[in-house]
Amino acid sequence: MASEILASNLNLKPGVCVRIVGDVLPDAKSFRLNLGKDHENLALHFNPRFDCFDDTNVIVCNSRQEGSWGAEQRETSFPFLPGSQVEVCFAFEGSHFTVRLPDGSEFKFPNRLNLDTINFLEANGDFKLRSVNFD
Amino acid sequence: GQDKVEIHHMDLKQGMTLKLKGKINDDANGFVINLGQSPGNLDLHFNPRFGEKTIVCNSQNGGRWEQEHRDDHVCFSPGTEIKLTVTLEEDEFQVKLPDGHQVKFPNRRKCSHLPYCCVEGGISLTSFKLD
Repeated sequence: MASEILASNLNLKPGVCVRIVGDVLPDAKSFRLNLGKDHENLALHFNPRFDCFDDTNVIVCNSRQEGSWGAEQRETSFPFLPGSQVEVCFAFEGSHFTVRLPDGSEFKFPNRLNLDTINFLEANGDFKLRSVNFD
Repeated sequence: GQDKVEIHHMDLKQGMTLKLKGKINDDANGFVINLGQSPGNLDLHFNPRFGEKTIVCNSQNGGRWEQEHRDDHVCFSPGTEIKLTVTLEEDEFQVKLPDGHQVKFPNRRKCSHLPYCCVEGGISLTSFKLD
């Protein structure tokens, strides 16, 4: 079953690394980790798709400003397996995010909204959040 | 620091433990951790007050406070990083303090699920974990 957890008023500044650990559900189709200001303003929408919207094993990243989605960035590195526990780190580095995947590989995503503070974090879809650290 | 971190749709069930880490601000007089169903319906309000050297616990039903419990064991210092665990049992909450002391507070409405958490006052949340 899809679950959602959200945290608000986090007041995270550049230099912080948001480390998320959770379980990918055994029958996972897709899950989403969102970072930003609120639901309508996401600096980073991180969406691994196992089998969803005609996509198989791809990570789709995007931003959302006042409810409008930006341009998708797709990553073909896909170190996720249904039924496993994973750790994903989002380093907020001001002008961009550096995302570290469970296999240690990294990619960058620009801070298109130019947010200086991350106040909102949300996890939903086929993912059960276990822990969040702000390092 | 943070003003008031709120977590919604948490999947904390009976028998589970919430582990929180945070940094107490240098100028803090206390802090608050609320757990419950929603902002006005709290099953555990946990409020260490440094000046009064006490921990006030209470619950809130539809915005109305209920009977306070106090525990005069305070082991918190401004400027330090702390770890707290809260276990939800059928009859009570067990809050384990950094020095191992346990504060117990009745689970007055026998809630089996806690979707809401709020951390506010003189503390910045650095980690939360559901076990």
